[in-house]
Amino acid sequence: MKRLWYFIREAYISLRTHQASTVIGIITTAFTLTSFGTFLLLYHNVHNLIGRVQTNIQIIVYPKDSIEPQKLQDLKKAIQTESAIDSVTLISKKDATKDFTHQFPDEAYLLDGLGKNPFPASLVLNLAHTIPSTDVVSNLVNRLQQNPNIDRVRYNRDWIERLTLIITYLEIGALIVGGVLALASITIIANTVQLAFYTRQEEIEILRLIGGTNLFISIPYLIEGAVIGGLGGGIALVFLRGGFEFFKHKTGTLSVIGGFSSVFEFFPFSLSLLLISGGILLGCIGTLTSMYGWMRFRL
Amino acid sequence: MIQLFHVTKYYEGCLALSDISLRIDKGECVLLTGPSGAGKTSLLKLIFGAEHPDDGQILVQNRNIARLRRADVPYHRRTMGFVLQDFKLLPHRTVFENVALPLIIRGLSSFESRRKVIEALRAVGMEHKQTTLASVLSAGEQQRACIARAIVNSPIILLADEPTGNLDPQLTIEIAELFKAINARGTTVMMATHNRQVVEQLNGRVLRLDCGHLLSDQGASA
Repeated sequence: MKRLWYFIREAYISLRTHQASTVIGIITTAFTLTSFGTFLLLYHNVHNLIGRVQTNIQIIVYPKDSIEPQKLQDLKKAIQTESAIDSVTLISKKDATKDFTHQFPDEAYLLDGLGKNPFPASLVLNLAHTIPSTDVVSNLVNRLQQNPNIDRVRYNRDWIERLTLIITYLEIGALIVGGVLALASITIIANTVQLAFYTRQEEIEILRLIGGTNLFISIPYLIEGAVIGGLGGGIALVFLRGGFEFFKHKTGTLSVIGGFSSVFEFFPFSLSLLLISGGILLGCIGTLTSMYGWMRFRL
Repeated sequence: MIQLFHVTKYYEGCLALSDISLRIDKGECVLLTGPSGAGKTSLLKLIFGAEHPDDGQILVQNRNIARLRRADVPYHRRTMGFVLQDFKLLPHRTVFENVALPLIIRGLSSFESRRKVIEALRAVGMEHKQTTLASVLSAGEQQRACIARAIVNSPIILLADEPTGNLDPQLTIEIAELFKAINARGTTVMMATHNRQVVEQLNGRVLRLDCGHLLSDQGASA
């Protein structure tokens, strides 16, 4: 307990003594995490948006015209059991005609000249809410196409693949941007802590003289780095929230984005915590980087 | 307690200690004398684990310091106290906080720490200064606080490198008396000094070094 109090007090003293470098460290970390967070927020919302759009993607199965009603029901039931499928709706030939006349009342007369109903029956397949991968969907479509009772299958393969590609690019982008920014942040925190090391060199020497281990000497600096990183993360979160609300407010009235504004959401609590934890982690890594070089060759 | 076998030490090619062998028993008071650059501080540093010998072996309480792992050095240091000429106190901490530092490192409870710190401060006559900042102490008081910090852990060996180097003759006598009292309580004292007054006052075994060579080893005078 006495040790813990000592560590906290030492970290506090160091932060207070080196106010300028502490503030620079916090601002830099906040800037870094805000930039990274903006990217993460974009990724999060695009991912959400894509998820929503993807659930609206349908696979339409056209059974053979000659299929018996019982077999059609069996086919529907079989498809319903697929894990990638959320629901299956049967649209009979009659329903298809009704839909056409409802959607295009001016063109309904075209059907009058045809003796036979030209519209095929169809099964409309809605994808599961937990979005299946492209491979799973392609596999299902291939299997359906090989079914002797099915005439053809239609689904927007390109659309799904493009969405998946966008998500992949965003993930790679987030990794690269995050990595670069994290490195910048680590370097700056390392320098901040190193500065504290140099100004407290004599104190560190005294601690070594009286039997302080590297760990004992390092802990206050680790706390210092964690505080700088954590505060930077917290400030970044405030900036992101403010920026997000501002963006939502401004774009809510725009017709182009307005339709999607209800889909936009801020990070869930867990992700917000992750951002602050990320800041703390950056702070600790920065400190460790600085200390490793400093203590490596000292007895 | 302390044994050196053919210890040699170089600093960037310059000889600091040459083939030193000696044995120091528990409770002895050993005074390292000789001119500047004789190797007194080097010898203390080797025993303290601040340096590794280039050749030879050093046994401190049957532990081979020459082979001590880096991670074990702090634990080795906790078994001894070290007093330096330039005090090495934390200026913005109180006397109490400075003296308590080795106990915090050891993780002692607040109650136990307080008891030991008061005891150590009493031993050096600094009990009344415990709340004073180290930066406002006089040189003699700073050295007393430094000695209190060195003995607060009840070390079995107390090393001192020119502890009276910055003090006037009167303070030198007082500090030498403190070392004598600490030694009388059974602590092995090993002090580097070129102050004849201290050597006479402590009346211990005198090791004379010059250019890294042990010139003489005289036992306690009668």
